[in-house]
Amino acid sequence: MTVPAIHIENLTKRYGDGDTAVDALKGVDMTIWPGEVVGLVGPSGSGKSTLLKCLGAVIEPTSGKMQLGGQTIFEGKWKIDDLRTLRRDRIGFVFQAPYLIPFLDVTDNIALLPMLAGVPNTQARIRAKELLQALDVGHRAQAQVSELSGGEQQRVSIARALANHPPIILADEPTAPLDSERALTVVRILNQMAQQYQTAIVVVTHDEKIIPTFKRIYHIRDGRTYEEAGEGRDA
Amino acid sequence: MINLASRDILHGWGKFVFTGVGLGLLIGVTLTMAGVYRGMVDDARAMIDNAGADLWVVQQDTLGPYAEPSSIHDDVARDLLGQDGVLAAGNVTYLTMQIQRGGKDVRIMLAGVEQGKPGEPAYLVAGRPITRTHYEALADIKTGLALGERIKIHRQQYTVVGLTRRMVSSSGDPMIFVPLKDAQEVQFLKDNDALLNDRTRTAANPAFNRPNVPGLLDAVLASQISSHMVNAVLVHIKTGYNDQIVAEQIRRWKHLQVYTKGQMEEILVAKLIATSSKQIFMFLVILSVVSAAIVAFIIYTMTMNKIREIAVLKLVGAGNRTISGMILQQALGLGFIGFVVGKTSATIWAPLFPKYVLLIPADAILGFILVMLMCSLASIFAIRAALRIDPATAIGG
Repeated sequence: MTVPAIHIENLTKRYGDGDTAVDALKGVDMTIWPGEVVGLVGPSGSGKSTLLKCLGAVIEPTSGKMQLGGQTIFEGKWKIDDLRTLRRDRIGFVFQAPYLIPFLDVTDNIALLPMLAGVPNTQARIRAKELLQALDVGHRAQAQVSELSGGEQQRVSIARALANHPPIILADEPTAPLDSERALTVVRILNQMAQQYQTAIVVVTHDEKIIPTFKRIYHIRDGRTYEEAGEGRDA
Repeated sequence: MINLASRDILHGWGKFVFTGVGLGLLIGVTLTMAGVYRGMVDDARAMIDNAGADLWVVQQDTLGPYAEPSSIHDDVARDLLGQDGVLAAGNVTYLTMQIQRGGKDVRIMLAGVEQGKPGEPAYLVAGRPITRTHYEALADIKTGLALGERIKIHRQQYTVVGLTRRMVSSSGDPMIFVPLKDAQEVQFLKDNDALLNDRTRTAANPAFNRPNVPGLLDAVLASQISSHMVNAVLVHIKTGYNDQIVAEQIRRWKHLQVYTKGQMEEILVAKLIATSSKQIFMFLVILSVVSAAIVAFIIYTMTMNKIREIAVLKLVGAGNRTISGMILQQALGLGFIGFVVGKTSATIWAPLFPKYVLLIPADAILGFILVMLMCSLASIFAIRAALRIDPATAIGG
């Protein structure tokens, strides 16, 4: 029986106390399966980034339940002690800007993650080069970050997110700085990677160009999610 | 594992190296200050060592002849030879003065010594010892004088017949040795006008001009133009004798102050240059604090310029140790470059200083350890700031 990569029940997040308290999430429910690319869509201030931070174990939710790969990691409080290792081994991040480490070359930007997880340097670099090949930027393996175009940098950041073969990738508006063609290419790559590595990918976006490509979309408004079937068009 | 610190340094090496050079020059100044202090102590010790004496006999209740004025009769040296344990005794005078050379002032310490007796320079690097009774001189090479060169000291011309090295006063002034009689004349003899004035005043005094004592005035006048005073007598003691015991005998029988080599070193190092040492120590402390503050500021700024990168590193699972290690290694790298530049620059500019700057390996090692320690401490602020960076910073919203 397949276990959901992400399963959330009635998740809430409150910032502050008393009169100044703000409820960013007011009971979010969400289930995402391995190999699935799901859109998380909503206007600014709707709670998208807060939800992403909760999913990424970067901030602690206030209440509710959160399971990753069948393991309960939050239920009223964190259920595991080492969130850093959780993020390193089980969650990949793709940001709005690539945020690559400027003093490392392309290969080492990706290889750094497996190295942090204890993978030997040579093996980590081989894995990095494989991912770069898969993302069609293998020829830039030795380049410096500053030598890459915006689209190439975003591909490298996707490769970095996949470096530890995490079951989940959280992408925060990954196509925002890209033109239509490059944005659709990034989505196509994410779909390919999801299929190839059976990775569940959550894409936070309000990019109208890519929304029709999702098969499933979670709309978030005023801290609540509403699930909707997407068009699932080819990117 | 990739060394993040070295990669970051290589990525922006120009900025890093220039910062290191700037810090290095500051460290160079700090090392030089330590060298100035060492030089002062070494000058003081060199003076004592080169005098080659076991005991310094000086005026009672004084710290003479280097730290306080001391004046004793020159026949004391002869008396001392009769004391048990005394091998040799030599009269010496010391006078810090200024001479002219090539139109420039040269500050020197003029030493009057007796040939073949304690007080003469231990060795010559060129030329010969003084053989005539008048108007020959031995000069330290730091005076810039050459063999055969003639110099004017007060009213007389002297010929440099020998050169010595590291013969300096406790203030670092190079020494010139002349025969004792000449030095006494320089130190105690008055100028012609003063002599004439003194003669007139003495002749006008009825006490020295009595009709029934015809030779009195001439005798008094003669005593006024000659001096038999010296600043100290340097003593060599016989082998097997204890310097403390011989010194105590001289104190007891001659009513003079006697210092052993250890006591004289104590006077010069602990008393004479004590204030200067404290002054330099204060400079050292201030320079160290300034250096530490600069390192802390540089490392802090470098770290704050990498907030986003550090946030990403934390988000993708880099531990506190990885982040702290990166900052600490950069601080140590900066310190290392700074130390290499500082040591090199101090070595280059030390000989250009007018006074002796002694850079000793032990100070360099201690300096290196302190620089590394200082950089480690300075990096604490940056590490604390880096560890406070929220990984959520990497995610928008």
